[in-house]
Amino acid sequence: MNCFCSSEHLGFSCYMMLVVPMNRSQGAGKRKRTDASPGTQSSLGPNEHAILDIVKGKGDMGIWIKDMRDKVNLPPTVFNKSIDSLKKNKMVKEVKNIKNKGRVHLVAAEFEPSKELTGGDWYADGNLDTEFITILKEVCFKQIDVMRVATIDQVANEIRKSNYFNIECSTQKIKEILNTLVLDNKVMTVTSNGIGEFAAIPAGTLCYKSRPKGSKQREAALTLIPCGVCPHTTICTPDGIISPKTCVYYTK
Amino acid sequence: MATRYGIQLAVHLISSHFGDLVAKVCECLLRKGTLTLRDIIRFTELSAQQVKNCLLVLIQHNCVQAFSTVEDGGLSESRIITQYMVIFNNIIHRMRFSKFIMIVSQEFDKECEELLEGLLQHGRLTLAQLLDRANTDKPEGKIPVVHLGGDRSRIHVRVLKSGFHRASCGLLCLSGNSFLMIGLSLTIKFVQFVECCPAQDALRESFNRLVNAHYVERCPASEPLLELKTDEAPSRRGAKSAKIARVVETTEQRALKAAAPMEAKRFLVVTNTGSDIHGKNTVDMPSNEITGEKQMKDEYMQLDGALGGAVCEKEVVWRANFEEFVLRLKQKVCVASIRAQYDDGAGVVLSAMLEATRGTERKIRGETSGPLSLNAIFEEVMKTEEGRTMTLEHVRSSLNQIGCKLDTAGPDQSYSIDLKNIIDTAQRDEVELIVLKRYGKEAFRMFRLLSRTRCLAETNKISDTALVDKKEAAKILYKLWQDDNVHMVRPTATSTSDKDLCLWTVNKDTLWKHVLDQMYHGALNLSLRTLYELEQEREILQLPREKRIGELGKRYERLRRVRILMESSLMKLDDSIMLFNDF
Repeated sequence: MNCFCSSEHLGFSCYMMLVVPMNRSQGAGKRKRTDASPGTQSSLGPNEHAILDIVKGKGDMGIWIKDMRDKVNLPPTVFNKSIDSLKKNKMVKEVKNIKNKGRVHLVAAEFEPSKELTGGDWYADGNLDTEFITILKEVCFKQIDVMRVATIDQVANEIRKSNYFNIECSTQKIKEILNTLVLDNKVMTVTSNGIGEFAAIPAGTLCYKSRPKGSKQREAALTLIPCGVCPHTTICTPDGIISPKTCVYYTK
Repeated sequence: MATRYGIQLAVHLISSHFGDLVAKVCECLLRKGTLTLRDIIRFTELSAQQVKNCLLVLIQHNCVQAFSTVEDGGLSESRIITQYMVIFNNIIHRMRFSKFIMIVSQEFDKECEELLEGLLQHGRLTLAQLLDRANTDKPEGKIPVVHLGGDRSRIHVRVLKSGFHRASCGLLCLSGNSFLMIGLSLTIKFVQFVECCPAQDALRESFNRLVNAHYVERCPASEPLLELKTDEAPSRRGAKSAKIARVVETTEQRALKAAAPMEAKRFLVVTNTGSDIHGKNTVDMPSNEITGEKQMKDEYMQLDGALGGAVCEKEVVWRANFEEFVLRLKQKVCVASIRAQYDDGAGVVLSAMLEATRGTERKIRGETSGPLSLNAIFEEVMKTEEGRTMTLEHVRSSLNQIGCKLDTAGPDQSYSIDLKNIIDTAQRDEVELIVLKRYGKEAFRMFRLLSRTRCLAETNKISDTALVDKKEAAKILYKLWQDDNVHMVRPTATSTSDKDLCLWTVNKDTLWKHVLDQMYHGALNLSLRTLYELEQEREILQLPREKRIGELGKRYERLRRVRILMESSLMKLDDSIMLFNDF
């Protein structure tokens, strides 16, 4: 698919970053990671030890650097040096708080940062990964369009088989994407009755079906006229300063 | 639903159709509600005669209904008071007359179309007046009209039976108190069918077809008397019935109900060729007309004493039945909605179902179509051009697709369709499309989520489900809330982290009303702008065609295009208004 060829090139690093949290997110939030290889604690000084203990104590939420500075009460240069050392030894990591992007939290390397902190699986570096979402949506939509009617599992399997992405897209992820396609009014949910186009799907299974062509172009009658989208419509009166007689939008 | 801009639009329609005086009386009734003649005079500050004339016009065009109520006089005798109520929907229907005519022209011939046009143009007409009007346009079918001056006591009119092949004579005796014409002059106008023409029978036939299709109905009673509401006996303590909330009927609803003719009489056509109000009928029946009906004593227009006495009419008065037209348009919208939502096959099946059960669903607010067996549906589908290629399995699949209910209780399995559900979906789609155009795709997604879940949702939850950036989601929701598209709830904060917690939902009732009001506003503006454009170029419109050349020709062409564009937009907008107000 053309759309993916370009996106793969553009967003590969981005997807690689996402793959880690996606795999991790399957377990509990505080599950310790096994694949990371943090440095040994014996090489750390007393300040680093003190800082690391506090960070570990905060679990998956971590601690804001400013709060940490206040807590350990070290001179700024010493504090910064200790933090750098911990980061260099891969014992802590910095995570931007989604609610306040200026705040950087320190989270122990063993912990998966909380969704509350990162914003969830669809966020990368504190920002919603819109590029990845758009491409995944496009791929899912095309898949449904080709299959006409499909279940979540069928779409997920097809995407996995086709190797569109270098990361694994879980069924849960695909479900979330399909739900946004339903909200976009691009596909609709139908329940299989086991006959006709649903012959291959057991009756009662929730399916996704693309909308008939042409139904997407429709516009609301109200928005076809200038008044439907005019921001001054609330102050528009027949004989007022803003009125249909003097409205400039009607001349366009 | 008479919203703020709905009232303005109604007043504008009346003003452009009947002038400012009538519009003033209409506005007074729309804003103040049901009033007596004295109150209308007081509020409008017009003379009594002006108000009477305005009311006559409004009643003639089915925009106002009079009714009487008995007022408790305390120690003295109770007295009857006549009140006037405005029928908002009938005023708004005036802007969709072209649609009504289109329905008839698609189903029937040109003559039916002209008859309906006459009724829409004049509001209420007797059959004789209707036929007279239709014939005046055709030189070959002209009927001589004899104006007879007479007194109220006794008039003898020789009436020749109309019809080409049958001619009979009858003597019509009239009592002055029984038959009077509109107005205070005592000149009575009768049509004497001296010459017969072949067009007459055809016109009557067309009229009968319109009545049989329920597009034309008898007018309601001019001034029904509402009985005093007697207090019901207090129900038994703890009775189950007391716990059920009952819908209280307003006086206006009671008046409309009381005025409406009985269902059996509403679409009954009787042709009188000469009758005596005191004596027996002389009824001559064409093949599809019914005999034995007693002399109809429907009053044409009977206003209270202040209007100069009772005014009656010789014949039954007819008017266009807006309910039936609205029902037709509702069915068309349902079919179009299903076609857009699913496919043409589903549209064909629904259309066939509605066509086959046409007689059974007469109420506008009817929520479901009549039940129909699969074979009957298939038979009806086969009659249509698009349906000929469909198989029984395809029809069954489409019925399941559009959510038809299968009733297995009877001997034959029957299907019925929930029209209310289709209309609800169409309304929701319309509002969502407005949100899409005004606020963009992300707002559309979040709005759809809220309108479908119908429960309170937290900002973060919305942004997570709709995959919208959290900060952006909060901004969009706030903007939607500012424009009254969503409803915000701030729960009582139990901790500091809950301080900024906002819960959002879509309040369908208030939002739908708000959207309808915006549509009325848009329709009013379009209408005003069209009038303004025409007013600006009045000189060009008055020019004869041969003089519209060069620059003037271009200006005329521009005006023509602008008018077509605006009027077609108004018609489309009116479709949406009907979707929210009438269906």
